[in-house]
Amino acid sequence: MILTKTGEDLHLLKIAFREFYFNQGNMVEEPPKIRNREFGLMGFDGVMKRHLTFSSLGGLIASLIFETPSDVFASNAQYDFPTLPISEKGWRGAELIFDIDLKDLDMKCIRSHSYARCLSCSSSYVSGSQESCPKCGSNNIAESMLPCDRCVNGLKNEVLKLHRFLTSDIGISPEMIGTYFSGNNGFHVHVQDESFNDLDSRARADLAAYILGVGISADAIGVTKDIRNDFRIRFPIGGLDHGWRKRLSDRLGISVSSQKRLSNLIKDLGGLEQFRKRVAEITRDMGVRIDSQVTTDVHRVFRLPGTLNGKSGLTKILCTDLNSFDPFDESCQLSNREVTVRVTIPKLKLRLKGERFNLNEEYVRVPMFLAVYLISKGLAHAVRLDPGTGRFIVPASTP
Amino acid sequence: MDIRLGNADLARYPFLNEAAEYMSQTYFNLDDLNLPELQHIVERASNRIRNEIIHGKPDYALERHEVEILTFLVGILIIKAINSDNLTKKHSLCEALRAEKFLVQDLKTQGELANKKLLVFKVFKELLKMDVLPSLKYQLMFEVKVTDYLKRSHLFHEQEWKLINRLVHDGRVFLDPDETVRLIRSELANLLFERIRQMNPSHIPTTIREHANILRSILPVAPRRLDNAPSAFPPCINHALDQMAAGENLPHSARVMLATYMLAIGKNIEEIVSLFENAPDYNERISRYQVEHLAGERGSHVRYLVPSCAKLRNDGLCFATSQCEGLINPVQFGRAAKSYSKKASVG
Ligand code: SF4
Ligand SMILES: [Zn+2]
Ligand SMILES: [Zn+2]
Repeated sequence: MILTKTGEDLHLLKIAFREFYFNQGNMVEEPPKIRNREFGLMGFDGVMKRHLTFSSLGGLIASLIFETPSDVFASNAQYDFPTLPISEKGWRGAELIFDIDLKDLDMKCIRSHSYARCLSCSSSYVSGSQESCPKCGSNNIAESMLPCDRCVNGLKNEVLKLHRFLTSDIGISPEMIGTYFSGNNGFHVHVQDESFNDLDSRARADLAAYILGVGISADAIGVTKDIRNDFRIRFPIGGLDHGWRKRLSDRLGISVSSQKRLSNLIKDLGGLEQFRKRVAEITRDMGVRIDSQVTTDVHRVFRLPGTLNGKSGLTKILCTDLNSFDPFDESCQLSNREVTVRVTIPKLKLRLKGERFNLNEEYVRVPMFLAVYLISKGLAHAVRLDPGTGRFIVPASTP
Repeated sequence: MDIRLGNADLARYPFLNEAAEYMSQTYFNLDDLNLPELQHIVERASNRIRNEIIHGKPDYALERHEVEILTFLVGILIIKAINSDNLTKKHSLCEALRAEKFLVQDLKTQGELANKKLLVFKVFKELLKMDVLPSLKYQLMFEVKVTDYLKRSHLFHEQEWKLINRLVHDGRVFLDPDETVRLIRSELANLLFERIRQMNPSHIPTTIREHANILRSILPVAPRRLDNAPSAFPPCINHALDQMAAGENLPHSARVMLATYMLAIGKNIEEIVSLFENAPDYNERISRYQVEHLAGERGSHVRYLVPSCAKLRNDGLCFATSQCEGLINPVQFGRAAKSYSKKASVG
């Protein structure tokens, strides 16, 4: 990633990021008990400084202006001593967080809006089905991706599914659920109900498995092994009224009123083993594609709401109404002042901050927010005009 | 929520704060235990502990509350006087198993008596800080908060305890009486263990001391830990032993690990079978059969090897410490260290 950026690129990114924290520092959200959080600041050199603390939001924003990091992270955990090594921090609970990322969704459209840049010969192309550079055959490729509307809808769907699990099954009230666009290719769902804070990672893993839909056994709906007849049905107390039992029985079209129906279904599928497989498939399909490692890790640092995502220049932002939320508009908070960039992908079309852009020329004047977006994605380079000649100063191409 | 319990209820749960209050209201003095009219209580408590030492099983007899509360108290004094961590653990576990049985009974008969109903929930609330409510919808089912459930269920390895295999609705998990109590088993034992450890009687009356001395003499010389010092075992083995001491059911893989390890370091089948006595689902015939099988004395006549560290890591049974560095199999634990220290002392 770093290799694909020029000194000129980094210079421009830093200016844009500093401007943002200077003018819109009020967007940065103060985490509850800020003194007990561990912060991490990622520099544009890709080096992460961890184990930092800030005693106030003002102090944090001052640092962001002064140091201009590319990414800002804060622990979901609260610690007695946030600056000490993990084993000595004194863990005091952590908010429950779910991460839904495009990479876990298997969207079919992804290849059609992924771009590759050959690090050997500097040519760029739409990834398509190409694995190596069509020009020089090199495998030294940097990929980047601009999510499309279909991707965004796919993500929103998963988030809504997650909401339903969290509210109707787990009993978290909707006001206690904060949904954030991550600023790049995903959503973070923060649970603000503190009764979940002291769950350890094994407890979180069990909860994550519930939401993912993994580990179900047919016994849960009353189908057990029987040595003589292959299987036996005895519906559980409490029936199939709620949660996964209900989801499963709705999908299978069964109910406690007809044992026969279920029995026939199992036989039609070819017996207990096949039925078990089918059940596991259904729950995987109906479960939410969360990244369970993120939920399980109680010592992680998360992108801080209201800060910029270094992979896009978009802001991690709260979505108050998910249905109408447009990540390419609301989270784009950088300025409109124009700068020049050299676009490395021919004929790029995209929409950002409510505008449509058709980039047909190599050298174009674009608003800062678009420049930052393209440079962050590795699809353009910053360019300066030589004050003497008025010509573009073309940066040396990178290795 | 402040509930006055009937004193009769305290017989089943003599560890509740109310029982201690009751004692203080009766102006009971520790030295009263030396009085002849209280000797039957001292005998009773002493027998209960003897039974625990020899058979590892709790005594379920239930007497009047005065007797039960005093027996509980005297039992603790005897345990304090004997001062063995292993026995304290065993005693806590037995008292927990005893309470467990009454809890299940009380849950099953809930609804008969409003008073009983409240009592059983008080045990959960006061001791375990956990709300257990009778389900309004399903007869004989109880509701616990998802968070309370998750905090405890990961101790169990069976599929059925995974949240996804439970009836879950609106932040509640529905459990039957046995499951409800099972959920808190090891916690109750640990709580009792902590309570006993923290108790500091002003002094120990002479009768108690005498009984303690007799009981100490029948403690197994090299008790449950066999004759190795605990630290001589690798962490994986220690962890499994601890889990068992806490009354947990070990997963099959952990039993195989324990048994094969003990065989490898030269323990005989008798010793190993007795190791599994603490398991809540202990059943001597099955245990013996399994161990003999692993020892190669049955079936295939193949002696099973101790699973490798890599395999154990995979099964989530490895709890490696710095002392495990470079090990491929738990049986190597301590060997390398020993030869190293020999060399060191020579050089
Ligand atoms: S490294 Fe090997 S010996 Fe050490 S705890 Fe893990 S499995 Fe046991
Ligand atoms: Zn190339
Ligand atoms: Zn797409």
